[in-house]
Amino acid sequence: MQPYMDRVLTDAERREAETHLEECAYCRKRYRFEEHLRVYVRQVVQAEPMPVELKTKLQGLRTPLQ
Amino acid sequence: MSETTREPDARRLATEARDRVRFEEDALALSDQVYRVARHLVGSREEAEDLMQETYARAFRSWRSFQPGTNLRAWLLRILTNLNIDRGRRQQRTPDLQPLEEGDYFLYNRLEAAGDGGTSDEQRVVERLSQNDVVAALSEVPHDFRDVVVLVDIGDFTYADAAQILDIPIGTVMSRLHRGRRILKQAMAETAVGGDA
Repeated sequence: MQPYMDRVLTDAERREAETHLEECAYCRKRYRFEEHLRVYVRQVVQAEPMPVELKTKLQGLRTPLQ
Repeated sequence: MSETTREPDARRLATEARDRVRFEEDALALSDQVYRVARHLVGSREEAEDLMQETYARAFRSWRSFQPGTNLRAWLLRILTNLNIDRGRRQQRTPDLQPLEEGDYFLYNRLEAAGDGGTSDEQRVVERLSQNDVVAALSEVPHDFRDVVVLVDIGDFTYADAAQILDIPIGTVMSRLHRGRRILKQAMAETAVGGDA
């Protein structure tokens, strides 16, 4: 399932996976869960923004203009 | 030195200064994205902030070694992961401590079983996990596996980029990703549903 979700299968392999998902409710349910899970994890961990003070500190590391 | 050699010298310096300003601006524009990855590569916000400052200090010093037109975000994260390793964090790397590694569907099965009457809506099953569950579970994944999961699933890097950033073969990226995601799901199941069913 991982290679299918990561879109690294060849066309033939991808078709085979899709045919299986169409036919098999058990895998389809779990595949949809994995898809939602990945999006959800990404959203959740990105919800914490970079602290503003850190941004200022990084800005301060720049090379002074001569 | 004659006027004729000094003149192009001044022009070269001006071009270089302009290139450097542009580089620094481009790098800073990516800092939010780099931070999101950094934040989950290390254990705490403080460590992430230190690492970000070291990374940008080094990037600004060695900006000439960046090849324009290549992936700047990957270049910055390569510096960041190298610094992270240099700081010796890997030395207390968790040994192979997952004696019982559950299958790919473990989390789904557990969450579904824990729900009242087991809703069939996969999205609602996912949302039984709180933000804390996810963040805490991620911090439990051993470093080597977490690096790949964070780069690919959170940083949205390709396998090839992740391989280059971490300086490991693509096959290793794939196997660590697979195991890392399983460990993550297992940790999420434990935080969300509890250790025993």
